[in-house]
Order: sequence, then structure tokens, then C-alpha cells
Amino acid sequence: MRLPLYVLAVSGGALVQFTVVPVVSVGGVVPDVPVVLTVLLALRYGAEAGCLTGFALGLAQDAVAGGPLGLHALSKALIGFVSGELPRWILVARPIVPIGLAVVATVVDGLARFALLQLFHYPAPLGELLARVIVPQAGYNGIVAAAALAWPVGRLLPRR
Amino acid sequence: MLDLLVRYRKYSVLTLVVVAAVALLTAQQTRPGEGLWLAEGIATVTAPIQTAFARVHRGAAALWAGYLDWKHLRADVARLRAETAALRLRQLRQEALEAENARLRTMATLRERLPERTLGAEVMARDWNGFTRGLTVDRGRADGMERLSAVLVTGGVVGRVAVLRRHSAVVQVLTDPASSIGGVVLRTRAQGLVEGVAGGRLRLKLAASAEVLQPGDLVVTSGIGELFPKGLPLGRVLRVYAPTGLFRTAELEPAVDLTSVEEVLVLPRGTSGDLAPAFPES
Repeated sequence: MRLPLYVLAVSGGALVQFTVVPVVSVGGVVPDVPVVLTVLLALRYGAEAGCLTGFALGLAQDAVAGGPLGLHALSKALIGFVSGELPRWILVARPIVPIGLAVVATVVDGLARFALLQLFHYPAPLGELLARVIVPQAGYNGIVAAAALAWPVGRLLPRR
Repeated sequence: MLDLLVRYRKYSVLTLVVVAAVALLTAQQTRPGEGLWLAEGIATVTAPIQTAFARVHRGAAALWAGYLDWKHLRADVARLRAETAALRLRQLRQEALEAENARLRTMATLRERLPERTLGAEVMARDWNGFTRGLTVDRGRADGMERLSAVLVTGGVVGRVAVLRRHSAVVQVLTDPASSIGGVVLRTRAQGLVEGVAGGRLRLKLAASAEVLQPGDLVVTSGIGELFPKGLPLGRVLRVYAPTGLFRTAELEPAVDLTSVEEVLVLPRGTSGDLAPAFPES
């Protein structure tokens, strides 16, 4: 993966997440753009790029969100790595795969963060989080992933 | 060792990243509430950008809100205009109904006062050119109407039936230049002829120039000629002219505003007697 593209993806993704995303809230639900970006980049550039992208984007999210630093970074790094490994086992050329993966990754990311937050005695129950945050966000991320793939930006990224 | 790391590069990266993240989390978990320099550094870089975007967003939101307000205002104005027009139309209809009601009520009163059985008719059309003045009413021969019958309203005489058709009739009004009715000045009982004058007024011609006329004198039908019974108001003296020879003339203002007549009563032919008591207001 070329470094300028990598920097652009990370800084652009972070910028979009912190500036545009709060504006496109639907019923209090916002997409998690770094998850979508991490999954898409990982599918195209591999596990290493996905892992580093996820880590960098997650770190930026942690810093801006004011939560425990490393929380998003760890969950998104893992997601990026696993997503990058998937093309070895499944065919990812069909658009439904990255879209579905973005949805599943969002759920996994949410569950992973919830598990890590138990270290910090996070009080919210999992059921409520799933129903009100994680699942709606997963749906929203699926739409964002579909839009990103349909958009010319999705085609700018070369395939592996 | 380095070869191993390079050979399994992606796993090395994963391990490095996971260790870094866990280390960060552990550091914060052991020292809760303390900010890390890394978090502060990232936040310092991103904060101004966030602020700028927030301002742009607020500006755009304000602009959008203003546009929506304007759009809603336009819709409200259009709705209120339509409502106002509908209410005005309703008010006009109401006023017209009230006026019609009042007219019909006074006509009914007159009908009760008159001794003979009268025929009510509604004005359908007006012929108001300078040469002839007539009203077309919606009753005719089929309704029992007769030619030359007297036509009245609550104020006095309108005219006479000049043309009779099966279901309609044309009434020659008093002010028609061809109209001529025998009249009497109520105050002096001086008799004369009331003629229509082009322009919508009436002229009274008295046979004796010595008769004294005053503006405001009421002129009623004389009953001579048997077309009109006695005592029906014709008009009031408006202006008295100097005597010419044997005649004295005066300009009369019709007792009835002939331009606004909507409903009329038609007296049967041969009605006689003094009908002045039926017009107490005159």
C-alpha cells in the first residue's frame, strides 16, 4: 500500500468521523466510518494495512472521544487484521461481501469494546447497547459501505 | 530474530499493535483519571479542525433553517390569502342573502297592506339604454299577469306591464321617455301628468300655472285613467321651473330607486280605490 494513500485514508476517515458524521445522525444513531474504512482497506490491501489503518483510526477516535486510549485502536486493529485475511478464504469481489462484512465488523467492534470496557467497570448493560447502539449502527454502516463502493472513491482504490 | 519478524511481518505488526493498545489501556486502568500525552497531542491537532467544521455546520444549519422558515412563511401566506378570499366570498353571500331577506320581508309587508291579491315577480333583466327603460320579470301570461297592470315595490310605482309573454313580461318603468301617468300633488291636490325624462328623472306637468309647487312635495297617482289606482307614490319634487304659458313644470325624483329593483308586485288590472294607506312611509 502506498504511504500517501494510507495517510490520506486515515486522516480523511478521522476528519469525516469527527466533523461530518455528527451531522448525519438519524434518530441519534451515527455511522462508524473508521470501521467501514478499515474493512474496505483491509479487503483491498491485506491484513497488515488493515491492522495499521484500524489502529491509527481507532487511536484518533479514542483521543477525540475522550474515552480510554487504545479501546477503539485495539478493536479496530483486530477487525482490520481479520478482514485483511478473509480474501484468502472467501471471494470478496461481489459487493455484498464488503457490505455484509462492514455490518458484521461493526457488531464485533461494539462487542469487543464492550468487553474491554469491563476493565473500566463500564455500567451500561449489553442488551441495551446492542439494541440502541450497536445494531442500528451496524445497519447504518452497511449503507455507508454500499455508498462508498458505489462512489468513485471506492473504485479509486486498486485491487490486490 | 529480525528475519523471523520480517518473515511473519503481518503477525508482527498485529502483535505490536495489540501490545501497544493493551499497554495504553493498562496504563489508564492503573492510573484512572490521568490524561495521556498521546491523547492530548492528537486532540490538540484535531480540535481546531473540528471547531472550523462545527462553525461551517452551524452556518449551514442556520441558512437551512432560514430557508425552511421562508418556505413555511410563503405557504402560510398563500393559505391565509385563500382563507381570506373564501371568508370574503362567504361574507358577500351572507350580505346578499340578508339584503334579499330584507327586501322580501318589506315586499311581504306591502303585499299584506294592499287590498287586492298581487302577483310577485323577480327581475330577470334590465334594458337601461337612453331610449327605453324597462325591466324583464319572470312572470307572464301563464301566471295570470295582464298587460298594462301596475307594477309596484314598497317605495311606490315602478311602471306598468308593457309587453306580455307566456312566462315573462317587460315592465315599462316610470322614467322611460314614453311613459306618462296621471299624478297629483299630495299637499295641494293639484293634478298633472308625470312623464319620463331621458336621464332617469321624471317631469311633472301641471295644467294651471298658478299652482304652487315646493321642492319635496310628494306626487302620487291620481287614479284617472284606471290603469293605476289612486295614492301610489310616484316621486318627490326636486326642482320647480318657471311657468311657461298655461303650464308649470317640475323635476321629480322617482319614489323608487329603479336601478336597484330586484322583486316587484304586480297589481291586477282594474284595482281601484285609494292605496295611499299601503305606503305609510311616503
